[in-house]
Amino acid sequence: MRLSELMSALGPTGLTEIALLIFLAVFVAVAVRAWRAGPGEQDRNARLPLDDGEVQS
Amino acid sequence: MTAPGRTELVRYDDAIVRKFVTATLLWGAVGMLVGLFIAMQLVWPQLNFAPYFTFGRLRPLHTNAVIFAFAGNGMFAAIYYSSQRLLKARMFSDLLSKIHFWGWQLIIVAAAITLPLGFTQGKEYAELEWPIDLAIAVVWVVFAVNFFGTIARRREQHIYVALWFYIATIITVAILHIFNNLVIPAGPLKSYSIYAGVQDAFMQWWYGHNAVAFFLTTPFLGLMYYFLPKAADRPVFSYRLSILHFWSLVFIYIWAGPHHLHYTALPAWASTLGMVFSVMLWMPSWGGMINGLLTLRGAWNKVAEDPVLKFFVVAITFYGMSTFEGPMMSVKSVNALSHYTNWNIAHVHGGALGWVGFMVFGMVYWLVPRLYQTRLYSTKLATTHFWISTVGIVLYVVSMWAAGITEGLMWRAFDDTGRLQFPDFVETSIRIIPMYWVRMLGGSLYIAGTLLGIYNVYKTWATRPQVYAEVEAEVPAPTWRKPKAAAPVDDRPVDRVLRPETEAPVHWHRRWEGLPMVFSVLTALAVIVASLFEILPTFLIGDNVPRIASVKPYTPLELYGRDIYIREGCYNCHSQMVRPFVDETVRYGEYSKPGEFIYDHPFQWGSRRIGPDLHREGGKRNHVWHWHHFRDPRATSKGSVMPAYPHLFSDRIDWAEIQDRVDAMAMLGTPYTKQALADAPGLARAQAEQVAKELAEQGGPAGQADREVIALIAYLQRLGIDIKSSSAESAGGK
Repeated sequence: MRLSELMSALGPTGLTEIALLIFLAVFVAVAVRAWRAGPGEQDRNARLPLDDGEVQS
Repeated sequence: MTAPGRTELVRYDDAIVRKFVTATLLWGAVGMLVGLFIAMQLVWPQLNFAPYFTFGRLRPLHTNAVIFAFAGNGMFAAIYYSSQRLLKARMFSDLLSKIHFWGWQLIIVAAAITLPLGFTQGKEYAELEWPIDLAIAVVWVVFAVNFFGTIARRREQHIYVALWFYIATIITVAILHIFNNLVIPAGPLKSYSIYAGVQDAFMQWWYGHNAVAFFLTTPFLGLMYYFLPKAADRPVFSYRLSILHFWSLVFIYIWAGPHHLHYTALPAWASTLGMVFSVMLWMPSWGGMINGLLTLRGAWNKVAEDPVLKFFVVAITFYGMSTFEGPMMSVKSVNALSHYTNWNIAHVHGGALGWVGFMVFGMVYWLVPRLYQTRLYSTKLATTHFWISTVGIVLYVVSMWAAGITEGLMWRAFDDTGRLQFPDFVETSIRIIPMYWVRMLGGSLYIAGTLLGIYNVYKTWATRPQVYAEVEAEVPAPTWRKPKAAAPVDDRPVDRVLRPETEAPVHWHRRWEGLPMVFSVLTALAVIVASLFEILPTFLIGDNVPRIASVKPYTPLELYGRDIYIREGCYNCHSQMVRPFVDETVRYGEYSKPGEFIYDHPFQWGSRRIGPDLHREGGKRNHVWHWHHFRDPRATSKGSVMPAYPHLFSDRIDWAEIQDRVDAMAMLGTPYTKQALADAPGLARAQAEQVAKELAEQGGPAGQADREVIALIAYLQRLGIDIKSSSAESAGGK
């Protein structure tokens, strides 16, 4: 079966539904990860722009 | 993870940042002044100085200058400054930094020369011809090598969220640029897109929308996540939210492009998908905006005193407004009104002037004293810049909202007898002239603010020390790599390649963040997978573009005329897409079908109607009307804002070029006859003689067969007529 035939058989509706499911899965995974990270780690990361240790010679 | 007590010395390269800041301001002024000039052309069409300085040729110069020169250089300044400090490493190579800078400026100069000369691919924001596109690809690779090389040499294990946005920018812009600019050259500065019609439109707006996303949004979000905490002297409100912001944005944005093509010949499923994802974009965009504004919690008193924070606060607010308005405009029923109108211009400039412009100016005011190692010349002047430009944006955006809604409503208005209330398109053009004046005032104020800013920066630069002090940082030595001695303080870059050692157990996302290549691949995958879900069905499902037997290729002369249409940038003012609305079919004719565009390399659907749609223009008027219209548009259409094109009457058709163009189109699969492939100029001459004869018979001048205007008339008379007759045959087609 050629790819174009497969695509035509699947149709745009099926493809877009798969796409939405993938999006949802990634979003949930990222959200879970973001909220599980420890506050200490987050605070340290958030402070990186302020901790550049810059001096002028 | 760093070793307590042991430190290393890093010497940052701020010279390259100074260069990019200077280029940002220089090109910003140029790009904005060109914008003001073309705004004036819409009020005074006499300001179109053909052939080089007409609206159609200058509008791409304006958009390219402000996007790639102003915003581009501003973005690079931000990246070069913040990346070194966030990674605690000097840029990978000073030489690559310089090649990047000078290469980018050369590309801008090349654009500034070629666009007024009429060398264009005819696709919005992707106008530059193929040799310049190749140069862009090379310079972008140089930039990428330099950036990722710096990441490889970093002393900070965690890759801060601003850098994720930069990574997404670098990867995605490369993908977009390459795939949207795939062309077949037909000459040193002439090419045809490998895609046609519906597919070209899809690719173009996949590119166009994501150029907004990944050139004008993600790098500036990176800028926000670095410079806002610096200016406010407090960390970002929520690092968790920034993670969510990043991944949601990267994953959703890439789908949204088809919302630029609602109710066109693009399959409805694709534009609906674009709409759904556009609406979902509200979520990450507003998450990012809230994260930015809440970073200032407890520091709002500083906003009253500090022009840098003023610029940032208003920029982030405009980000929120634009990212609310954009999804709203992507809803089909709203888009039916807003599309092709100045509402788009209002939306774009709210984002460009408010979000991008003010982020750049806020960054520049914060950077300049540090880069020039002196005090800002005048805080008062910076504050004045802020207020003048803010008022300018408001005037600009409100006037274009009013103009857009006026246009949309007038185009669709019917009177009590069921006829179009404003059947003559030019009635709308005349009605919105007062709004153009207000727009000019707003734009002038914004530019006045910019010029004040440039003066302020110049005066600050004038008080710089004779020799800049080296900018160094003493940073903790990394323990997540093999220990190294502190880098020496000398004239060489002090960084060196260090190899990672076994790390302590870390969270899986932290591990990604510590593995920039894996992280980059995942970002690329998110972009590519999402793109393929839309691109593959568009290209591979046969029903998307049903063939129409009567649709034939353009004849050699019509093809040459089409190239003149592209050269003059007619697509900047005229669409070629009749939407399936009653008012449009009454005004223009039968709605456009996907199968009508299969030989359109590139598509010319346009995105705006300063003038009427032209897809059904063929046969509506005789040749002599067009002849007079090009000579003096206001003689045939009183109140028209179209430029006159006197050069079309003096410049002669270059018959020798026609064969190369037909051959290039044949390479793309256009089924030309053997005769057309053997003697395209001969066919073109024969058709030109015929058109010129008809012109003379209609009362026009004789002896015009070799003039460019004849080729352009031949093209216009062909537009949209193939479906009118099932037996339509064209001279060069099969």
